[in-house]
Amino acid sequence: MRPLPLRKFFLPSLTRAFLLRVLLLSISCLLIFNYLLIPLRIQGQSMEPTYRDNSFAFCWRLQYLFSKPARSDVVTLRYAGRKVMLLKRIIALAGDTVAFRKGILFVNGQRTPEPYVRYTSNWDLSERTIKPGHVYVVGDNRNTIMSRHRFGQIPVNRIIGGVIP
Amino acid sequence: MINRKSIIAVLLLLTAVITFFLLPGDEKKIRSNLSSLADYCSTPQQEPMLEALKKASLTAKLCAIPCRVSIDSLDLDRDLSQKEISNHLLMMKKQMVATRFTFHDITVQITGRQAAISTTLRLKGNTMNGRFTDAYEFDIRAVKTDGKWLFSSFHVVEFMER
Repeated sequence: MRPLPLRKFFLPSLTRAFLLRVLLLSISCLLIFNYLLIPLRIQGQSMEPTYRDNSFAFCWRLQYLFSKPARSDVVTLRYAGRKVMLLKRIIALAGDTVAFRKGILFVNGQRTPEPYVRYTSNWDLSERTIKPGHVYVVGDNRNTIMSRHRFGQIPVNRIIGGVIP
Repeated sequence: MINRKSIIAVLLLLTAVITFFLLPGDEKKIRSNLSSLADYCSTPQQEPMLEALKKASLTAKLCAIPCRVSIDSLDLDRDLSQKEISNHLLMMKKQMVATRFTFHDITVQITGRQAAISTTLRLKGNTMNGRFTDAYEFDIRAVKTDGKWLFSSFHVVEFMER
């Protein structure tokens, strides 16, 4: 097979087949990157160091098509739509109890290791039970005052998908 | 003959496109008001006091009298007068230096002279404590009064419960 000349590669002749290929590729990209693998530009420090401010990732929308959200999963949550989403980690599921004592997470009364948390905190949160149809989400960056950090239980239907990588 | 037909078709299409983009429909007016609201609420790095006062007054003019504001996390759920809206905005501008407000994912449902708007407000900027980004989901209501769409209520949707 002879290599394609550079000129032909960059300036292809506009045949019907070529235009059809371009059209199909454009439609595929539009569908994939709008509905299945949504590009994310991360802004904010609430998931550091796992996801740094201004880094890039994808939201994989089919992540929970055949499985349910699990503890330690990083998920994207919707507000009014999918243009602005919230990135958080699930730490407890419906029916679980969750508490923080001096920054240490306790799920169902058991001390739960969090290898993804690098910055220690002194968060204290009394024990609470997660409602049915909800999951408990927190950011990985605990190096902020608890009152400033947005976390808590959210309805499962707020989850848009998982995060890649 | 074919050429004349094509020209007429193109002209008709152009007229339709121009009409669609230039004639302000109700939804377009509401979206435009939201965009103005975001501009007025945004604060550049060094905003002159006079400019801030002007923006606060223009923001109040986008709102109906009274305008209901409910934000559970601030324990706020009451009707605000235009003066109160201006004062709140000026206070907020003082605390949030160089902050940009933008509305995303806007959906507008119009029923007669009333409209229900769902949107995400994104904030990006600086406070006295440093750089920040934040987002809030809003349910907004608007009413048509004397041909103008005015915001009659703002409600922050709190979907995260500690």
